[in-house]
Amino acid sequence: MTASVEFAGVSKRFGAVAAISDISFAVKAGETVALLGPSGCGKTTILRLIAGFEQPDSGAITIGGRDMFGLRPYERNVGLLFQHYALFPHMTVAENVAYGLRHRGAAAKTIPARVREMLELVRMIEFADRRPDRLSGGQQQRVALARALATQPTLVLLDEPLSALDAKLRHDLRAELKQLLAAVGSTAIVVTHDQEEAMSLGERVFVMSRGALMQIGSPNDVYWRPHSRFVADFMGRTNWFEGALTVSPSGQARFTAASGWSAPLDAADRPAGPASLCIRPEGVEIWGGPDPSPAGSPAGRVLDVVPLGPVRQVVVQLHTGERIVAAQPNRAADAPAPGMSVSVSLSPDAIVLFPPAA
Amino acid sequence: MKFAFRRARTEDRLAGVCVAGVIGLGLLFLIGPLILTFVMAFDARNYLGPLPPPALSLHWFTKLFRQDEVASSLETSLILAGATTLLSTSAGAAAALALVNRRFPGADWVQSAFLSPLVVPPVVIGFGLLIFLSQFGLLQGLPRLLAGHLVISLPYAIRASLASLNGFDASLPEAAMVLGATERQAFWSVTLPLIRTGIVTGAIFAFAISMDDVSVSLFLSGPDATPLPVTLISNMRASFDLTIAAAAVLLMAATVLLIVLLDRMVGFDRVIGQGLFRT
Repeated sequence: MTASVEFAGVSKRFGAVAAISDISFAVKAGETVALLGPSGCGKTTILRLIAGFEQPDSGAITIGGRDMFGLRPYERNVGLLFQHYALFPHMTVAENVAYGLRHRGAAAKTIPARVREMLELVRMIEFADRRPDRLSGGQQQRVALARALATQPTLVLLDEPLSALDAKLRHDLRAELKQLLAAVGSTAIVVTHDQEEAMSLGERVFVMSRGALMQIGSPNDVYWRPHSRFVADFMGRTNWFEGALTVSPSGQARFTAASGWSAPLDAADRPAGPASLCIRPEGVEIWGGPDPSPAGSPAGRVLDVVPLGPVRQVVVQLHTGERIVAAQPNRAADAPAPGMSVSVSLSPDAIVLFPPAA
Repeated sequence: MKFAFRRARTEDRLAGVCVAGVIGLGLLFLIGPLILTFVMAFDARNYLGPLPPPALSLHWFTKLFRQDEVASSLETSLILAGATTLLSTSAGAAAALALVNRRFPGADWVQSAFLSPLVVPPVVIGFGLLIFLSQFGLLQGLPRLLAGHLVISLPYAIRASLASLNGFDASLPEAAMVLGATERQAFWSVTLPLIRTGIVTGAIFAFAISMDDVSVSLFLSGPDATPLPVTLISNMRASFDLTIAAAAVLLMAATVLLIVLLDRMVGFDRVIGQGLFRT
């Protein structure tokens, strides 16, 4: 597999502000990558650098092996789905889709057929003669996607593709978008601040913060195996505990919380001594009622139960003082009630240890 | 249950009467002089007599066209207004495009400087330009008038273009470029059609200001180039007759014609109201 997009030590400043510094990565041809980070982390700058709206201060960007230095947006073959779609309001849907074909020098005879094909792909053919302002947000997005893909770009950039849509539509379109990108088979970079969007669309997720890449990995990698506190916190809710890692002479590793309780670990992947434990709510199990809890589990009392649709969050106040949040499938039958006495256990494979908090 | 007939409160009725009165007065002062001018232009008498005129005639119009200086200054005015419109509109649109993103240092200062003729009295502009240009021996005749008219019409052209660029989505030309259009193609196929109404509005303002201006032109006109309003005023000084009413009627007719044409071409509602496409 050749690299479709490659950044080698790319930096960009705006005035006194470093938007991105020394960024290097490679995206394989045909791959869909999600660039994830909070607003202002530099992900939009990366997108604009790839599209050619900005030029890097240092470093090299190559697309399909070609150095992009100094090339204008129209001298690259990059498709871009704008956050607010940027459909041309004075043109019909069909004219919008044809725009790229006309300007990229497609033979005039082939354009109507290609426009038709693209509009059929996004199921918008019956709206071909409408103006964009007569379309709903979801329809506009599909037209924008058809326009971006019509010229068969080697690379498609999607800027917050779903954020302008309401929650229900977002769900449906996410699946559709994924299928479309797979059907077209082009390399895609999705820029988003939404973890769910990034994890569901990206085969790999690039997590960014303050102009730097924090971690690159599969969606499950960055979620369950964060390399830094930032990634752990940014990817979703986490429980943090301060304590120490101990390894028994027999090789059994344990984490002992500062407040006294302890939990077994799979392996000691860092030297014994002070450490922070990080665990997602899904890795925390609640034991109550007739089931015997594993020996030595911390015990507590249910403080609150928050149903979130498919899952529910159970907040447990441990007798040792800390609070821990667990997530479990939201079935009505076995719901714990506030005030119940329970014990919790931490799944060893869901635990990540970090150096102690400063 | 019966509803008693309620009378409006006295103060509300009083307010209603006042509003109606103000609107009536406004209309009277706006339209009254126009009607009066119109009637007087067709007055058959050779002097300014009491209304209504006993008979109608076109003799003021014939007299107007017999005056050589009127015909030549109408020509001057049309050339001047045409050139002012062309230059001021293109320069104004270009300035607005540069100013709207504020992407260069001092953009605010540049904008203030461009718009400053709006607050400087035209007499000061006219006098200042006259002194400035004659000190350095620059520009005579028509070009000198053109310079003055550009100064006073440019702020309107810039403002009109800025207004339509306000709310213009800057990602639209970017989308065009990413789709393969060069900067120039993106401008002609995307930016210009979307800000067209502002540019047309600016052009109308520039033309009207140039055709109408007296105070700046008074200073800058010379024997070889005198725009129509200046000629009419000096004629009126020399001998007060109704050729000026005839000229006014012709100007009104031209205005109406222009408005009808614009309405046919771009839609008048777009020029004065509503304004732009928005996304």
